[in-house]
Amino acid sequence: MSGQSQRLNVVPTVTTLGVVKARLVGATRGHALLKKKSDALTVQFRQILKKIVSTKESMGEIMKESSFSLTQAKYVAGDNIKHVVLENVRNASVKVRSKQDNVAGVKLPRFEHFTDGEPKADLTGLARGGQQVQACRAAHIKAIEVLVELASLQTSFLTLDEAIKTTNRRVNALENVVKPRLENTISYIKGELDELEREDFFRLKKIQGYKKREIERQMVAGKAFAEEQAVEKVALMKGISFNSAHNILAVGAEKDEDIIF
Amino acid sequence: MNGWTAITSRLNSIVRGYRSGLLTAADYNNLCQCETLDDIKMHLSATEYGPYLQNEPSPLHTTTIVEKCTQKLVDEYKHMLCQATEPLSTFLEYVTYGHMIDNVVLIVTGTLHERDVQELLEKCHPLGMFDSIATLAVAQNMRELYRLVLVDTPLAPYFSECITSEDLDDMNIEIMRNTLYKAYLEDFYKFCQKLGGATAEIMSDLLAFEADRRAVNITINSIGTELTRDDRRKLYSNFGLLYPYGHEELAVCEEIEQVRAVMEKYPPYQSIFSKLSYGESQMLDKAFYEEEVKRLCLAFEQQFHFGVFFAYMRLREQEIRNLMWISECVAQNQKSRVHDSVVFIF
Amino acid sequence: MANKIPIPTKSSALIAMIADEDTITGFLLAGVGNVDLRRKTNYLIVDSKTTVKAIEDAFKEFTTSEDIAIVLISQYVANMIRFLVDSYNKPIPAILEIPSKDHPYDPTHDSVLSRVRYLFSAESVASDRR
Repeated sequence: MSGQSQRLNVVPTVTTLGVVKARLVGATRGHALLKKKSDALTVQFRQILKKIVSTKESMGEIMKESSFSLTQAKYVAGDNIKHVVLENVRNASVKVRSKQDNVAGVKLPRFEHFTDGEPKADLTGLARGGQQVQACRAAHIKAIEVLVELASLQTSFLTLDEAIKTTNRRVNALENVVKPRLENTISYIKGELDELEREDFFRLKKIQGYKKREIERQMVAGKAFAEEQAVEKVALMKGISFNSAHNILAVGAEKDEDIIF
Repeated sequence: MNGWTAITSRLNSIVRGYRSGLLTAADYNNLCQCETLDDIKMHLSATEYGPYLQNEPSPLHTTTIVEKCTQKLVDEYKHMLCQATEPLSTFLEYVTYGHMIDNVVLIVTGTLHERDVQELLEKCHPLGMFDSIATLAVAQNMRELYRLVLVDTPLAPYFSECITSEDLDDMNIEIMRNTLYKAYLEDFYKFCQKLGGATAEIMSDLLAFEADRRAVNITINSIGTELTRDDRRKLYSNFGLLYPYGHEELAVCEEIEQVRAVMEKYPPYQSIFSKLSYGESQMLDKAFYEEEVKRLCLAFEQQFHFGVFFAYMRLREQEIRNLMWISECVAQNQKSRVHDSVVFIF
Repeated sequence: MANKIPIPTKSSALIAMIADEDTITGFLLAGVGNVDLRRKTNYLIVDSKTTVKAIEDAFKEFTTSEDIAIVLISQYVANMIRFLVDSYNKPIPAILEIPSKDHPYDPTHDSVLSRVRYLFSAESVASDRR
């Protein structure tokens, strides 16, 4: 995998190692948290799924009932009632307000229906079928309730779906890209540092060797010097220097060729 | 009887012929067995509705069925109206004033909300059309409406009653509709009385029933609304079995049980209300429809009166309602409810 | 990125509708309908004469409008503009497919429900429905 070879482009120093290690800790914690979040969302998601399915079914029933209640109203009040209703539309009295629910940091919209102002007590179908009209209205208000609930569920569903996907993407990204990369970096830095250390050690050793040899040499030189000193002392005591005697000899040998030993 | 001419007799027999064309018990049974709207169409094609539904492409809609059936009624009505002479033609016109009121109210409402007139006209009931209906939309307030348009229509005298300079709002519109209807019923009643004879006798019974039914419905439907007792009282028609003492009592009713108590004093309505279980008012409309159908059918038992035309129109309308109910039940897969609201006409 | 889509918290918003006449009539009766100053309605009545273009326009208008929180759309209407409905993915306004009386509810066509089913082990949804 590509992550295997990937690492951050950093200078391998101890400081960077500290930084990268801190980042790895952060990434691990973040990964754990996101995993938990994803789990929480999934739980919520499952619940919503179940609710959606059951609400969709009850919606079918309720819609059937409400449209049937309209039929009843039409039966009693005549087909024209629908035109009366259509022409009487003015301002919505039933509206929705949206709130937010917070599930693990994901904002889920939640719709609530409410009636704006008092329900207008109009006299539609006063002489014929007013009661059926009222029943029909009640049935449709009930349907609205269910539909509004379903709308919240559905929106939550879509939002959660998206959120879960994002979270999972992040979890996977952390798990499969960021963390390996950090780990690689750490091992790289460690490797580099070890390498440096070994070099240092070798260098130290080398220097030590030099030093040793130097010391030995000095020791030898010292010893020689000491011997010399001692010889000189003896010569002085004899009144003649070994050296000069030697030198005389040597000089005499060079200068006086007929001196033969 | 005055105005009973050869032509009228002919129309009389035509309408009786039409009546026998109403769907029978067997037809209803068949229709109730239907599984789809196409089945309904198939069954209807064997009846008088056949030619009207013949060319309708599948998939059918309930609205189409209702529309086509209404078309048949309108055609029959026009056929009768063309041939009718005075005073039958006036009588026939009276029959449609109810729809006319609905149309006018619809247009006025639409105008107030600045809807397109052409669209509104499409929604009007074909039986309630009159020539100048499209011009209604030009009016901005009631006074203008009356001055410009309505004076030319048969509804003019009714409008003069509810005309006020105050602006229209929703409340007023429904009250206006009912005030108009009240005026219409009273006028129709007077007209029938003027005709005299069997027509007066039968029509006064039918119209009284209609007036009483409206009174009861208005009472029940206005319970809990901002309609005051006085306003409510004003919407009751000034005739009928309940007039005047029943009206006084109904006007103060605040709950359905009180209405029931009032109505049980009147023998013809006792049976209707005794059918309803305590506190139930939903099926009242059906009970009233059944009673109406019974009375309408009785109108055919007598000879030489105009009531048959009124009765026929109403029976047809009921039949269309039944068809709508059945097809809606079929379309919505609510077969168990089919029998709830079908009022059989035999 | 779900967190990036702002979810407006409004005190009041409307419910828009695209459906057949009867369904709309019912909901208007319940008081959902609104006509604004420019005489624009928050509903579209779909009948046999309504063009797909008109439905598309209405759908786009409702989904971009700010004061609409929920769009109810009859399923058979949604089927006409399925590509639009399916490509729509904002959380607000929420699109809700509702059954209409002439057209029984078919869960297989619902864009959201099909996703639900996809995620929610197909057989459990199917068994619930049967």
